[in-house]
Amino acid sequence: MKHLLITGNEAAAWGARLIKPHFIPTFPITPQTECIETLARWKVEGDLPDTDFERMESEHSVMSAAIGAAAVGVRVFTATSSQGLMLMHEVLYIASGMRLPIVMVNISRGLSAPVTLWSDHNDFLDQRDSGWIMFHAENNQEVLDMVLQGYRIAEDPRVLLPVMVNMDGYVLSFTDEPVIIPSYEDVKQFLPAYDPQHTITSDRPVTVGPPVMDEYTDYKAQMHLASRNALTVLDEVQNDFEKIFGRRYHTVDEFMLDDAELVLITQGSMSTTAKAAILEMREEGIKVGLLRLRVIRPWPGEIICKALQNVKAIAVIDRNIAPGKGGIMLPEIVESLYHSINRPLVSGFIVGLGGKPQTEAKIKEITHKLANDLASGRPRIEWNDVEVS
Amino acid sequence: MYKIRIHGRGGQGAKKAAKIIGQAAFDMGKQVQDFALYGAERRGAPVMSFVRIDDNPILERGYIDDPDVVIVLDKALLEIVNVSAGLDENGLLIINSEQEPVLDTPAMVKHVDATTIALEIIGKPIFNTIMLGALAKFTNIISKDALDRAVEEELSKYPDKIIKANKDAVKKCYEVA
Repeated sequence: MKHLLITGNEAAAWGARLIKPHFIPTFPITPQTECIETLARWKVEGDLPDTDFERMESEHSVMSAAIGAAAVGVRVFTATSSQGLMLMHEVLYIASGMRLPIVMVNISRGLSAPVTLWSDHNDFLDQRDSGWIMFHAENNQEVLDMVLQGYRIAEDPRVLLPVMVNMDGYVLSFTDEPVIIPSYEDVKQFLPAYDPQHTITSDRPVTVGPPVMDEYTDYKAQMHLASRNALTVLDEVQNDFEKIFGRRYHTVDEFMLDDAELVLITQGSMSTTAKAAILEMREEGIKVGLLRLRVIRPWPGEIICKALQNVKAIAVIDRNIAPGKGGIMLPEIVESLYHSINRPLVSGFIVGLGGKPQTEAKIKEITHKLANDLASGRPRIEWNDVEVS
Repeated sequence: MYKIRIHGRGGQGAKKAAKIIGQAAFDMGKQVQDFALYGAERRGAPVMSFVRIDDNPILERGYIDDPDVVIVLDKALLEIVNVSAGLDENGLLIINSEQEPVLDTPAMVKHVDATTIALEIIGKPIFNTIMLGALAKFTNIISKDALDRAVEEELSKYPDKIIKANKDAVKKCYEVA
């Protein structure tokens, strides 16, 4: 174990290095480039002796190659961002449909046009229904840890689905933070050597992903159940992870929720800023807490509902936009709360598109608006300080 | 928490300077966050980098608009960037300049001629690391020893000759600042 000051990109690369993937197909894109550059350097310097590192001609080819490699039973890692993830889009469904335990890091960046290099969450939320397990990290340590956990969950026979670990571009990808790098021995104990059960081999030729008729629904139902299984597997994996590494993550991250009347629902790196603002608001006697969505798929609706059972008002802070609808996570939260006995007021705020900075002042402003909404009994949907309906 | 903002131009190593400060403070057992603000930046464009240093885990993120220390790598930036923005009377601004700059700020202003030191010792106008000698001199944020080790670590991919020249130049800056 060692303690390094590294970027989110480097933390992702360390996660990959520690699990010793057999194959890393890559294509560079800002702000992911530093991650694959780091892995490429390690390959040249001899730190990844058993890894085949390939530069492909596009992200579509990256995911296609990842599928081929995973189908013959090797561990695969890759990373991408934004337009690159969009170019993979159709192939992502093939990876999940073929039940291949690939782990990919996506460094979120807003989608063109107009071009932005900075973060928002539209790129990976657009892949929400692709069948991938989706995590969203708050800091660089979590990026590394989720890569390690990703393989355990993806390779579990009850799951067998690909995993996407998301982090915010720039705010994490290019920011140095202290990160604990586990030892190879501990990682090996946590994640034993890969023993794939369903692979194509020369003495057992099979067709995977062929055209089907009646069975199509069955396959999709199995995928759905496998994704739901991941919630159970996730808990077991947390237990093992904590035993070995001494850190624990929960399916949803709860911060000062116990006596909270007002709750902010956040994702990713803005949660850190929001926690700082909450600590200050608590000093002023405002009963505000935070729930951070760490696991986007499978959707942990019941856990979210339970965590929010005593709160009065919720602000869902979406760093994404579905034009013509609003924030993407707002309706997911509302749907989960619809059947609860206590149905708190829910307002929606769309913030931080294309990397617009999320400050503590902005978080406080949202909290004050939420308190006003609670007092008036009227929820709002707000975007860039402009009320939209 | 100590907050440091570095102003430079693309190519002058503002990002590297932030990394070296971060590494030095990390080496001293501090919690650290360092990053640079850049997009599709090109050589010569004004850029900023940032460092936060604390004894406790750092919850703030994003740009620093209330710095304790500002480091200006290029005095010509004074004409186009408000480098002293957010500095109060307890603040410190360190600028690479051969003479006392004219600045409207309540903060203490120190100048050091890092360009001349760079040309003398390194042989090239590369002064990002050198300016950190002044930071170690004027503040107790990072120690001279930790700075030395951080320069060595962050420049480790360069030949020994370059690392030594940088360390010598940092030492010179520390002495004359």
